[in-house]
Amino acid sequence: MKGTIKIVLSLTLLWSLSFASEQFSMSDADREMYAEMLEDNPADIMVGNGSELLEEYCGGDAGLAEFLNVSEDELPAYIAGFPRYLKDFKQVVALDQVLQALMSKNGHKPFALKSSDMFDMGAYAKSIANGEKIQIDVDANKHIKESYELGKLTFEQKRGSRGLSCLSCHSSQVIGSVLRTQPLPDLSAKGNAPAATWPAYRMTKSSLRTLQRRFQGCMNNALLAVIPLGSPEMVGLEVYLTQEAKGFEIAIPGLKR
Amino acid sequence: MKKTVMISLLVGASLFAADYSGVIEKPNASKIIKDDLLAKATVYAMPEGCITTDKDAIARGAYIFHNLNSKQAGQKPPKGIDIKDSDTKQYGNCVACHNIEKAQGGGNIGPDLTRYKAMFMDSGVRDHQFVFQKIADPRIDNQNTHMTINLTTKLFTTKEICEITSYVISTK
Ligand code: HEC
Ligand code: HEC
Repeated sequence: MKGTIKIVLSLTLLWSLSFASEQFSMSDADREMYAEMLEDNPADIMVGNGSELLEEYCGGDAGLAEFLNVSEDELPAYIAGFPRYLKDFKQVVALDQVLQALMSKNGHKPFALKSSDMFDMGAYAKSIANGEKIQIDVDANKHIKESYELGKLTFEQKRGSRGLSCLSCHSSQVIGSVLRTQPLPDLSAKGNAPAATWPAYRMTKSSLRTLQRRFQGCMNNALLAVIPLGSPEMVGLEVYLTQEAKGFEIAIPGLKR
Repeated sequence: MKKTVMISLLVGASLFAADYSGVIEKPNASKIIKDDLLAKATVYAMPEGCITTDKDAIARGAYIFHNLNSKQAGQKPPKGIDIKDSDTKQYGNCVACHNIEKAQGGGNIGPDLTRYKAMFMDSGVRDHQFVFQKIADPRIDNQNTHMTINLTTKLFTTKEICEITSYVISTK
């Protein structure tokens, strides 16, 4: 495995830990468990599994670099620039979609985007960029510009039976307010920068989850119709929040409540 | 002859130019989103007898105010709310954003509604119609509101909005 996977102390966690009052959702027992997991993120095993899967199906780091037309040295910085428009895909793609194509090219049936194997492999692939700063370029071409705009629209559009949008709970006006015992996180590089800290181990779900899967969680909770992983709107949301997190150092796997 | 070579070259080129757009998952979500969008902001007039001091109606309003949905609700529903076990009925989850008397884990995204009657009704700052409209469709009063929309989305009936309003403005 290339480089050691860093155990990452996510800001969410630090932030949650700083709220000690009963009003908040973390009990003392939860806090203790977090402290332990910081030493030993349970997702390290899953990322390890992802490394083996990448080796088996995609030719490892070298295979991925070759597929993306970059040298192995350039690979970390290149990964830190996803999602991006790739000509061979005729669209803006997230890293997991690239892995699907590479599997297919190597004669394998691609893992489904929502499969835990894909979560593991995608988490490992992104962890290759650990320590790199997010460097998406949303002005690079018209395709990524459009994807950004679609993502912004999807973020701001009110829908569902409660008439909420992502912005209702994640605008700068409400950051830090409390939604039924949960402090509302800052999704930008000034806060938790989720685009740099997902895939992450989600304690409340006892599993490794991806950023797009996290979006689905919020949609589900807030009664917005859940849209499928890999759809242009989902990739757009990822582009939008990656731009928000620009400059933040990638640290996979994250650890979240 | 020359022509054949050219054609086979062209065919070859198109075969070898990579195109991965067909092998990746890229499902369409636009219809799901379109069907989920909101109707435009709507003005509602309170029906006759909307605001009530009836104990059972206020209990139902309180129940809807304090709970997320029928699966998560702790206590048994008050008289007049009948939910089959197999159904999930969504409630208001207003405490997620508002503190109010006896709120458990009340949020602070919206204003504190504690002592609402004394502070806002008796003082004349608000009237019944304002509160009813706010809960039914807050966009009328505040276009960029972060509050939920409860009648235009058909999450609740007019009668339920009346009961929630009656609870908010009641003496607790
Ligand atoms: C009703 C409120 C609400 C809505 C609407 C909402 N969210 Fe959230 N979101 C939250 C809360 C609360 C948390 C933090 C939960 C926790 O601590 O586990 C959160 C967490 C997140 C996170 C993880 C943040 C981190 O620290 O890593 C992301 C990403 C996110 N939301 C994106 C979205 C997107 C995209 C949408 C719209 C599709 C959305 N949210 C809609 C309330 C909401
Ligand atoms: C996602 C957050 C959120 C939820 C859920 C929510 N509200 Fe609000 N509410 C707000 C915000 C923010 C405001 C202030 C801005 C505005 O008036 O639009 C507000 C304002 C109000 C007001 C006006 C107070 C005044 O006199 O100015 C009332 C009454 C109210 N809400 C009742 C409710 C009820 C009843 C429910 C549940 C059916 C509810 N709210 C659910 C966020 C929320």
